[in-house]
Amino acid sequence: MKDDATFHDAKLQELAQRLGARAAERLDVERTAQAVVARLHEEARAPARPSVWSQPAWLRIAAALVIVAGAGLVARSMWQTPSGAPAPVETVDLSDISAPQLRELLRSFEQPGEPEPVSSQDVGLEDLSPAQLRTLLASLEEQT
Amino acid sequence: MTPAEPVAAVPSPTDAALIAAWQGGDEQAAAELVRRHARALARFLAGAGAPEADLDDVVQETFIRAFRAVGTFRGQCRFRTWLLTIGGNVLKDAHRRAKRARVVPLADDLRSSDGDPHERAVAAEAEGRLGEGLERLPRLQREVFLLRAQQGLEYEEIAAALGTTPGAARVHYHHAVRRLKECLK
Repeated sequence: MKDDATFHDAKLQELAQRLGARAAERLDVERTAQAVVARLHEEARAPARPSVWSQPAWLRIAAALVIVAGAGLVARSMWQTPSGAPAPVETVDLSDISAPQLRELLRSFEQPGEPEPVSSQDVGLEDLSPAQLRTLLASLEEQT
Repeated sequence: MTPAEPVAAVPSPTDAALIAAWQGGDEQAAAELVRRHARALARFLAGAGAPEADLDDVVQETFIRAFRAVGTFRGQCRFRTWLLTIGGNVLKDAHRRAKRARVVPLADDLRSSDGDPHERAVAAEAEGRLGEGLERLPRLQREVFLLRAQQGLEYEEIAAALGTTPGAARVHYHHAVRRLKECLK
């Protein structure tokens, strides 16, 4: 340390070495040692309680929910028109449809059929039925 | 009268041996490590601004954290140096918590009753100014200064403990000294 020019400042060095010395002298080292050992002993005896979030299943579910919620928000923001007005609804003139076509159309409304595959990109969460939500969660879990 | 047989000095176990013993479940090895390093740690912490009233708590917390994380200690520096850097982190957390309800501790010089009162007052004033100067330093400069000037460590050791280079540690030290000299003028 002799080559260190700053150490020629004896006053600073002496002060630095004295700094905290009295406080340290007053520390009851034996009591501190016993207290530390007691705390370590206590920690070792306490059963480790893993957090709910450290379990992989819960983490996967939480991640899936976050993805679904995020996708829903994105889809919702994309579907909204800039003015906030409802999107125009395309109208169909029934007079242009033939009778067989009309019957087919009515039948399709009457038969609910199988739930359609749902994509997280084209619906909001509020639009999904419980069955659709389950399907979507399952597909997301498969992806992860 | 037969000359006394030379008593072979029993070498005290190294820190590494005590750490291994503690990891093997020997609690007394942990106690021995505390006895060995508590005062140096307390001096470092007091120098870095730990109020004396909290010193015991901060020292204990530092050892607890160190023992919890001892598996990550790879011997990149001495155990004591590693311990001092953990102490710096504990102190930082304690300062953050204490900001809400700050208690100003009674200064050492007001409690101490030994020695010449005038000398004591002069020394206390100088130490107080140095302490204030240290508090104003950036954390890295403060820790490098204390590790170097108070604990007498080499730059290589300081750099290994703080995750920096010896050159950078030297620069931090010189900046700290320059600013502290200003405080003491």
